[in-house]
Amino acid sequence: MTFYPAAAPPDGDRRTAKQKIAAYLEPWLYSAPVLILIVAIMLVPLALGISYAFRDIRLLNPFSGAFVGLKHFRELAGDGAFRGALVNTLWWTFSSVILQFLFGLILALLLNRPFRGRALAQALCFLPWAVPSFLSGLDWAWMFNPVVGPIPHWLYALGILSEPSNILSDPETAMWGPIVANVWWGIPFFAITMLAALQAIPKDLYEAAEIDGAGPIERFRSITVPFLAPTMAISILLRTVWIANFADLIIVMTNGGPADRTQIVASYIFTQAFRRLDFGYASAIALVLLVLLLAYSMLIVVLRQTMLTRH
Amino acid sequence: MASITIQSITKTFGTVPVLHDIDLSIADGEFVVLVGPSGCGKSTLLRMIAGLEDITGGEIRIDGRRINEVAPKDRDIAMVFQSYALYPHMTVADNMSYSLKLRKTARERIAEAVGAAAGKLGLDPLLERRPKALSGGQRQRVAMGRAIVRHPKAFLFDEPLSNLDARLREQMRAEIKRLHKAIGATSVYVTHDQIEAMTLADRIVAMHGGIIQQVGNPLDLYDRPANLFVAGFIGSPAMNFVDGHCRSGAIETDDGSRIAVPGGIDLAEGQAVTVGIRPEHVRIVAGSGAGSYTARVDLVEPTGFGTIVHVRLLGQDLKIYTLERGAAEVGEPLHIALDGDRLHVFDRETTNRIG
Ligand SMILES: Nc1ncnc2c1ncn2[C@@H]1O[C@H](COP(=O)(O)OP(=O)(O)O)[C@@H](O)[C@H]1O
Ligand SMILES: [Mg+2]
Repeated sequence: MTFYPAAAPPDGDRRTAKQKIAAYLEPWLYSAPVLILIVAIMLVPLALGISYAFRDIRLLNPFSGAFVGLKHFRELAGDGAFRGALVNTLWWTFSSVILQFLFGLILALLLNRPFRGRALAQALCFLPWAVPSFLSGLDWAWMFNPVVGPIPHWLYALGILSEPSNILSDPETAMWGPIVANVWWGIPFFAITMLAALQAIPKDLYEAAEIDGAGPIERFRSITVPFLAPTMAISILLRTVWIANFADLIIVMTNGGPADRTQIVASYIFTQAFRRLDFGYASAIALVLLVLLLAYSMLIVVLRQTMLTRH
Repeated sequence: MASITIQSITKTFGTVPVLHDIDLSIADGEFVVLVGPSGCGKSTLLRMIAGLEDITGGEIRIDGRRINEVAPKDRDIAMVFQSYALYPHMTVADNMSYSLKLRKTARERIAEAVGAAAGKLGLDPLLERRPKALSGGQRQRVAMGRAIVRHPKAFLFDEPLSNLDARLREQMRAEIKRLHKAIGATSVYVTHDQIEAMTLADRIVAMHGGIIQQVGNPLDLYDRPANLFVAGFIGSPAMNFVDGHCRSGAIETDDGSRIAVPGGIDLAEGQAVTVGIRPEHVRIVAGSGAGSYTARVDLVEPTGFGTIVHVRLLGQDLKIYTLERGAAEVGEPLHIALDGDRLHVFDRETTNRIG
């Protein structure tokens, strides 16, 4: 068998300069197509978007486009609507994620035990995921409308509403409309991921625990939760970032109103960009949102890492 | 410690019957091994004793108390699983003390019990580790430790050694036997490995197709297998079977050879029988003589201690187990004799032992 020396033979490098350059470039040439793609479709638009935040870009003003420095950010600091949107975003994101997660987990636990017609039930439960978000937003808007939808009448019958009115037009309750629609729409995501994790738990652990004397709650606490924890953490993280960015339902159902009470940062960006056509200002807001979400992700990653090393 | 009585137990999964009318009494302190090929229903029976499967029909009693409806945790049994089923998020010590904690045992008592069990099994240096950081053999020990800390009435083992390599399996087998001698608790042990069954059991229960084939001490099953299934299952290398008919006072095999009917056996003229010959009971003799056979050697398999010789005889591939090295050469003729007293004769119709 012949032995081929590695790139740098021990007895000194006898290759010409040209060969050295070629050897150095080789891996870069192989990965060039992917690198070019990444730069072209991810980094360039990102950089362009970021650059808008520092420029005056208004679609209807042909003389705009000039570099304005931190003007947008100074404006943003004094923008009450933006601050309101930040608070609404927190409210919208965390109540949606927590409710989606809880209901998704319960659904997964129910679907994880065998019963007749389980396959059909599973398919049905995952159906909302397949409904386009705009369509489900419209559906829910109709359902909350007392003229065509049943929900106000039910709430009235239950004594929760004093009259069958549209909760979407009441500033106090409007946010619950998109949240309910979002929960309904997002439960399948958690149900699917939790169900997959549940099915990976060995059944004999539960049997061993049963013999050891653990009741259902104790078994859930000492076996199910530790097994699900990593999946829970990562799916909640992903969903949080995603929902914070998710304005479809709000745009369709309330369009940020009434009185900006359902305006979240993402829908505010949309409003600035496509209603006021102020792309510069919208980009500045988007940049702030990006930084906030990055900080949040970093926090979670660090938290996860410390949790992992502690174990 | 306890006796276990199993009465007319049946089990069906949906409409599929898995166990048929099982009757078995296990005495206090006895080590009983359920053995049989995979799928014969051993685990199902064990899990019914544990309370992990519903009982379709019949009754199980522990110490005389009917336990059909009793929850697993109240049966006071401990089980060792094939996969060990250790809680991966708990340390070895926590795994072992879990059941005691759930039973609200005092902290000092728990520490004492875990310490004693760890000492018995050599787990002391591992107590703070998680199962992930243990080898297969160590996990096996922890699973045993988890079972013994509680001093249950009975131990149930479901193929506890099947995931270990051969050497470790042998070692743990001896350790389980020693542990049983020391603790003396009633044990029911499921395995598909007949060597494990033979070495461990006070009494073996051989099962096949959801039916108990024979119950007896290991040497009984070896010396007097009740039917063709037990004869073929117990013993390694496996018993040779030769089909034949009773013709004028001898058994005539299908290729025309004749085997003398062993003493104490009555056969009807023309009765279809199967003769069972253990490979270790075939003698190699120096020359041809009365009652000896001559055959050509087909294959020689040395196992180190002994040698398995395959010859073409009595219409089939007959295995011979001999301790003499070099007794046979491939292609050479070999003279052999059968030990009349050690032949087993089975009715071919019922597959049951005759005599
Ligand atoms: N939960 C179950 N549902 C349906 N059939 C089962 C179930 N558990 C076991 N069986 C069937 O019962 C038979 C006996 O199984 P088992 O007791 O596990 O066999 P063994 O332990 O002897 O290998 C097998 O045919 C198996 O397919
Ligand atoms: Mg089994």
